[in-house]
Amino acid sequence: MMFDYILLFAVALSALMAIIQENLYKSIIILTFESFSLAAIFHFLLATDVAAVQAILGAALLPGLFIVALYKTTKGRDE
Amino acid sequence: MEPFQVASFMTAGVLIVTGLWALLMMDNILKKIIGANLIGDGANLVLISIGYRPGGFIPEVMHHFHATATPSNYSHLLQFEEFASNASYSLPFALVLTNIVIGASTLSVMLALAVVLYKKYHTLSVQKMFEGDE
Repeated sequence: MMFDYILLFAVALSALMAIIQENLYKSIIILTFESFSLAAIFHFLLATDVAAVQAILGAALLPGLFIVALYKTTKGRDE
Repeated sequence: MEPFQVASFMTAGVLIVTGLWALLMMDNILKKIIGANLIGDGANLVLISIGYRPGGFIPEVMHHFHATATPSNYSHLLQFEEFASNASYSLPFALVLTNIVIGASTLSVMLALAVVLYKKYHTLSVQKMFEGDE
């Protein structure tokens, strides 16, 4: 039963990494990983319905919204 | 209190502190929005770990329950007292389920406001937005 503790550590570490990361696209990918690991933790905490909603919204809707916003705010700039 | 519950509380503390630090100290407005999202995740994790009962049932799934049960084979179903004393506490789950959906909609509103600010100021840096106003 060490897997859930590893998931908790992964959530805390990826939250820190998403903030520290300079490249915003990489930051969004790390945030998606954090959100999906949080859904797995909700499953281990016996809340399967919350885990399903968190997995759908955190892994599909959240990076989609962030990438659309990031595309609209970096379009005119050449990087 | 269970060790896994304590570890969940500590992880939620790390999430909330990280989100507050990003909201206060980061210059990029998208990093501030990521920090607000992290604070919401930490609050959800606190609420979920309150309702955890080690070795308990998932409250939405009654064990040994079948849709085709007839009154003659109801006897192997769990009694209500046994189910209620072993299932995890399900009130915070309903709260968190609402909070996740509301968090997603407030996130989309925040991102739309960031796009509008970019179209006005042509930058994502909060420092430069305030410099332009003065």
